[in-house]
Amino acid sequence: MLSPTLQKLLSSQPGDRSYAQYSSAANELAKLTPEETGRPPLRVAVVRNFTAETLLPVVAGEVFLAGFHPVLWVGDYDSINAEVMNPASALYTFKPDFVVMLQWLETISPALTTRFVSSPEALVTSEVERVRQQTRDICQAIRKHTKAPVLFNNFPLPTETTLGILDGQSAAFQTHTTIALNQGLMNDAKGTGSVYVLDFMRLFAAHGSMQCIDERNWQMARAPLAGKALLPIGREVGKFVRALKGKAKKCLVLDCDNTLWGGIIGEDGMAGIQLGHTHPGSSFLAFHEEILNLHDRGVILAICSKNNLADVLEVFKSHPDTLLREKHFAAMQVNWDDKVTNLKRLAEELNIGIDSFVFVDDSEFETQLVREQLPEVEVLQMPKSAAGFRAELTRRGLFDTLTLSTEDRRRNEMYVETRQRKELETSATSLEDFLAKLELEVDIGPPNELEIPRVAQLTQKTNQFNLTTRRYTEGDIRAFIASGKADVLALKVRDRIAEMGLVGVAIVTYDDSAVAEIDSFLLSCRVIGRGVEDALLSELINKTVNAKGSRKVVAKYVPTAKNAQVKDFYTGHQFKVIAESPEGKTWEHAVGPTAVPAPSWIKIKDGRADASK
Amino acid sequence: MQANEQKLKRTLSEVFGVPEESINDETSKDTVEAWDSLKHLNLVLAIEEQFDVSLSEEQSLEIMSFPLIKAVLGEHGVQFS
Repeated sequence: MLSPTLQKLLSSQPGDRSYAQYSSAANELAKLTPEETGRPPLRVAVVRNFTAETLLPVVAGEVFLAGFHPVLWVGDYDSINAEVMNPASALYTFKPDFVVMLQWLETISPALTTRFVSSPEALVTSEVERVRQQTRDICQAIRKHTKAPVLFNNFPLPTETTLGILDGQSAAFQTHTTIALNQGLMNDAKGTGSVYVLDFMRLFAAHGSMQCIDERNWQMARAPLAGKALLPIGREVGKFVRALKGKAKKCLVLDCDNTLWGGIIGEDGMAGIQLGHTHPGSSFLAFHEEILNLHDRGVILAICSKNNLADVLEVFKSHPDTLLREKHFAAMQVNWDDKVTNLKRLAEELNIGIDSFVFVDDSEFETQLVREQLPEVEVLQMPKSAAGFRAELTRRGLFDTLTLSTEDRRRNEMYVETRQRKELETSATSLEDFLAKLELEVDIGPPNELEIPRVAQLTQKTNQFNLTTRRYTEGDIRAFIASGKADVLALKVRDRIAEMGLVGVAIVTYDDSAVAEIDSFLLSCRVIGRGVEDALLSELINKTVNAKGSRKVVAKYVPTAKNAQVKDFYTGHQFKVIAESPEGKTWEHAVGPTAVPAPSWIKIKDGRADASK
Repeated sequence: MQANEQKLKRTLSEVFGVPEESINDETSKDTVEAWDSLKHLNLVLAIEEQFDVSLSEEQSLEIMSFPLIKAVLGEHGVQFS
């Protein structure tokens, strides 16, 4: 049972949380164990060249809010180099899951900050290069000694410049030099695996640099971050934790009346509701835009509304100003049943975990009910004024990810295609007939460089059809491939209706004993139940593992709250159980060119199917 | 006024991770183990946030005990009984 302080942190709205509240929560968390908070530990290391201790309570609180038990370590003041370069340093013995590197430009380069006006152009150029080189070296050193993702800050724009108003007149001056430096840092981060930018430039601009920098504490304690900056920065770190640790939300569930438009369609009628280009309808139109932005980022949209379905569909079909159309929604529950029931129905229909839902409603009654009955659903209570809807939806970063793949952009179309497949299913005479009619085709092989981000993303996001639920970064996947002691297979699927893209991953590792082990085996829930998982297992064992000369393969199932549906997957393929405990089950199976049969109705590309038939 | 006293006790309790009831006029940097110079920075930020004030350098150095915090906040018009 969590303490009142921690419960209050969990139930409070982000805008209502205070620094004092985070401090209190962090003090309590430091005394608790992961068993006591019921959350897996997440070890966060902070290396820095300024006093950053004031930020730690917010980071601890945000890691906790993201669903983890925070374990924090902070390096010595201004000793980043010593810590990252030495493989035996306290940083690495801490075994971080996450490294945050914080630098303050004034400390590194007075020539680019406090003394800019006196720096000749050549010095400015060389200083920009030096800061970039130093940051690159640090990131690469960390990358060499740990697989933990690295998050480092770029630099806020100067609040005052040494050139005064002249500064804005040339790209060679202070403000634009800072921008150029930040662009360079961003490019450098992209070139190093699993290194990301904590965008101080944008955060400080959004929250006001004057308010975010505490000159008093900078002079007194080399602690430049003002109280006003700590919460936004900590929240941003929390967004990275969520995105990298598989906690990003996937589905936005929307109410209709007074959420997607002003007024009540059943009473006010099409002409009476507020939605359009002038106030007050414009606030709702702005909200439509933001929802469409999320749709285009791959967020699944759904409707959960107490209404007559025909009325709602009529708005999407015929309202002159609506941006949202029926085609944008993967599922709708529009009826007079309670919203808890309807949310459960949506989860079932979409075949995704209810904890990946964000539920949006204007009614306090509905949001309270869902909060109480379905605590795993993230609930967004819309503010009183519709002008605030757009920001309420975006600023929490609930759907934020660190990649945007072609699959993401096409996700909603895929759900529409799923609906079409269901229609085909009803027209088929038997399951075999249906599967044959689908004309399934799979392509199984090692991922190419461009596919690695999607492979990592699948390991981070897949919960249900996932035998071991091991989360990997792009760096981890590359390390597997480079090690020579593992094979990574990517599964691509298409059928007569559509291309489903890269939807499955298998990772197998080898030791020296001719026994291979299936480290990961996972499939996006959209393609389950058509035999493609059997095709992937068949290819993995009969071709990939067989080619490596292994005689035996060992496979594990590690239970989580979500993956019960795959607990008998290996038994179903005649694997033999060799160990069983509450932590999981282990099987083994012989390896050979025909060890695991592939389903007859699936065409396996590159002519690799035939040997297994 | 009583409310401000309670609020200050709560703030100290939150920053230092000690029970609210343990805070009294005897409470100072010398009696609270967690009150080191780094936690002092957290305290300054938390007090500024909770009472919506901005402390000067001298004031931020002065507030080394519960009565001294009350005195400094008093200079900002925050009243204690």
